Amino acid sequence: MSTDLDLVRSPSALEVRELLSGLLGRDVSLEPAEGFSGDSAAGSTFAVYVDDRLTTRAVAVVDLPLSAYAGAAVGLLPAGGAQDAVAERDLTPILKENLAEVLNVMAALLNEEGRPHVKLADVHHVGAWPSPQVCADAAATGRRLDLSVTIPLYGAGRLSIVGVR
Amino acid sequence: MKILIADDSRVMRQIVIRTLRQAGYGGHDLIEAENGAVALELVHTQSPDLVLSDWNMPEMNGIDLLRALRASGQQVPFGFVTSEGTPEMVDRAMSSGALFLIAKPFTADSFRDQLDAVVA
Repeated sequence: MSTDLDLVRSPSALEVRELLSGLLGRDVSLEPAEGFSGDSAAGSTFAVYVDDRLTTRAVAVVDLPLSAYAGAAVGLLPAGGAQDAVAERDLTPILKENLAEVLNVMAALLNEEGRPHVKLADVHHVGAWPSPQVCADAAATGRRLDLSVTIPLYGAGRLSIVGVR
Repeated sequence: MKILIADDSRVMRQIVIRTLRQAGYGGHDLIEAENGAVALELVHTQSPDLVLSDWNMPEMNGIDLLRALRASGQQVPFGFVTSEGTPEMVDRAMSSGALFLIAKPFTADSFRDQLDAVVA
């Protein structure tokens, strides 16, 4: 019989704000937003979190602007470079690498004693659209947190964290 | 003293170094490794006084690094700096010979809390 404890935990908006503020070293603000499951026109970043049996347990989706801003902010890179990346709809290798580390640390939001342990398995960066299954997971209803995130001095974008299976 | 920082993320190594400076440990000799296998070699060739290691890394992860060090008789003080922060993972770290586990994201205070007892 499955119970709620068979699922990864669902983080709160406050926990997301605290984690991002600590990691990016600035006071991130966020607001609830409409459901976001990726922008196929501009491109989005998809992070896949798996349990110890490599089953997908959660997916995070980050839109192009927030992908660029978070990747720049965590490495103290200039905002101008991030804005160029948004205009060109492509992230530089360093922005991708930095963003992947932000998504890696976000696994901490999903872990709790007594629940399945998860870690970041894959990142599908802007320009590399993920598999239909990952897209379907990102669009799942129910256990999801949809946020508009603003990083001071950089800008705002969308982040959704979706618990699946 | 010499501190080895093992993390596969370049930006996280930069953040750890920055936080060490903010916490008042800026005057130490800092060396970096991008995975556990490189860190294992550097412990033997560079003889650091402290290892700060990520948990999830390619080639060799942090817990395997720690176990390999202890299996070879190497008793260098070892702490994890990782997004793995659940009590189960802390137990695994400690029972394998780690001195502490600092969960990401961390602050200069969380570094001082753990490192003051280790860093002269």
